[in-house]
Amino acid sequence: MSIRTLILQQLANTLANGGVTSTDYSLEANELPWTASGEPLYVKNMRVVYVSDEDESKVQLYRTLDQGTVYQTETVVQAFLSEDAKNIKANNPTVIENMLNAKDIVNTANGYNVQLADSGYEQEIEDSTITYTFEYTFTTI
Amino acid sequence: MGVLNITAGSQAILTLGNTEALSLPGATDGMVIPFVQDITVNAAPGIVRYSVLSSPSSKAFTTVNENSISGNMLLDEETFFGLAGATNTVALNGLFATSTAKTKVFFTVAFEGSDSLDHYIKGEGFIGGLAPTASMDAAVWISPVEIIVDGELEADTV
Repeated sequence: MSIRTLILQQLANTLANGGVTSTDYSLEANELPWTASGEPLYVKNMRVVYVSDEDESKVQLYRTLDQGTVYQTETVVQAFLSEDAKNIKANNPTVIENMLNAKDIVNTANGYNVQLADSGYEQEIEDSTITYTFEYTFTTI
Repeated sequence: MGVLNITAGSQAILTLGNTEALSLPGATDGMVIPFVQDITVNAAPGIVRYSVLSSPSSKAFTTVNENSISGNMLLDEETFFGLAGATNTVALNGLFATSTAKTKVFFTVAFEGSDSLDHYIKGEGFIGGLAPTASMDAAVWISPVEIIVDGELEADTV
């Protein structure tokens, strides 16, 4: 299962179970964050989380004389959420926290030997819309 | 004339056995050490330097050779802890137990692989220098390994 699929799976849970699904927030599990008429869907559809496709790079961690190469894979996934800055919902902090913690779903039990798992976000306010751009970075062996 | 290219992945091979026959390159039941990152054959004669009043440069004479094989490897479970049912007792017990038991092993270092007339160096000695290290940065277990050679190294061909 891809890392993006695992993150989608985690975020599809309810707020109480570490996801974002609630009366105020939802997850778009099928579409990538594409742009319609010059406006990203996550801006058009407020309080809907969109998860981008994966960016991946693979480097040789070790080379051995018998060509038993060990690879290190770095995967970056972004997620987007926009909110009406005039009307921030009460459970917004929980959604943000759950989105940051969604990185924990990528683990050995789900088929990934994780060396490093980072998550963070930046926020940008334009007019009355605040946009959160999350970035998940995984280094796996 | 030509360099000994090892990039094919089947040229530089360290093989261990509890008999010389089992340690030869390509031997059935020979214990080939996998995931070796580098290997060094040390064949240095001992040297004693001395000065004489009649010469402005120091003089030297040789003493006994001190031979060893050293390298670094990523740890393989069966190689390090043993492979049940192996007829080669070095493979059966694994590197760690063979080292702690101070059991003498036979070894070869193949320079060109294990085809007919390929060159190798052989000898016998004791496994030492194991120092397995783990860290999150390294991601896997890594260890140096050394074979302290008992006697002389000999060159031969398959």
